[in-house]
Amino acid sequence: MTDFDALLRALAAADVRFIVVGGAAATAHGAARLTVDLDIVYERSRENIRRLVAALSDSQPYLRGAPPGLPFRLDEETVQRGLNFTLTCTLGDIDLLGEIAGGGGYADLLPHSIVLKPFGTECRCLGLSRLIQVKRAAGRPKDFDAIAELEALEQERDEPGKQI
Amino acid sequence: MNLMSRDPLPPITPDPVIEYYKKDIDRTLLRENLKLTVTERFEKLMALQRFAEEMRRAGCRARQQQ
Repeated sequence: MTDFDALLRALAAADVRFIVVGGAAATAHGAARLTVDLDIVYERSRENIRRLVAALSDSQPYLRGAPPGLPFRLDEETVQRGLNFTLTCTLGDIDLLGEIAGGGGYADLLPHSIVLKPFGTECRCLGLSRLIQVKRAAGRPKDFDAIAELEALEQERDEPGKQI
Repeated sequence: MNLMSRDPLPPITPDPVIEYYKKDIDRTLLRENLKLTVTERFEKLMALQRFAEEMRRAGCRARQQQ
């Protein structure tokens, strides 16, 4: 199980600049679909990468689905040389994304993000309209159902008296 | 709390494929979720994860006993 509370706290405590995207963002907006990991788009500056690595260092991050024993270490150099990392750690599954298809990087998504406070932790989350556009741009058939739910959510949310 | 993005996007053009999928969405679940706080939505998700994991384990145990 992914401990969203602990992961978000760890990232926020280290002052990591990131935006929650994907299924966790959909959950934040009210989607009912099950998601098992936390997807974040992180800012690619050297300082932020240092913070990101520090935030996750205690939770033993490792490549998700990879056989055990590979010489993988999530350090600054690894993140600088790569872009997107699909990881599992003691707090659950987390995807570190330097960019997302149809959405770009942190700076591109920032104007389309909103500030939320789940579990008392302030974090940025991709806005619902942009989340829909990004999923549409990815064009994956497996996302059709999720996009339909997000669009229905947007319609329901626009009704008076609803949160977010 | 700042709930609005700074850069509003134009309305999304309906896609016939997505509209087809939308017919099967259970809007009662969405309406219930919209009554919750963001924290409550994540707590609900984690409870669902625990339930799914327990069901998976139960399935494994049942197959081993067969």
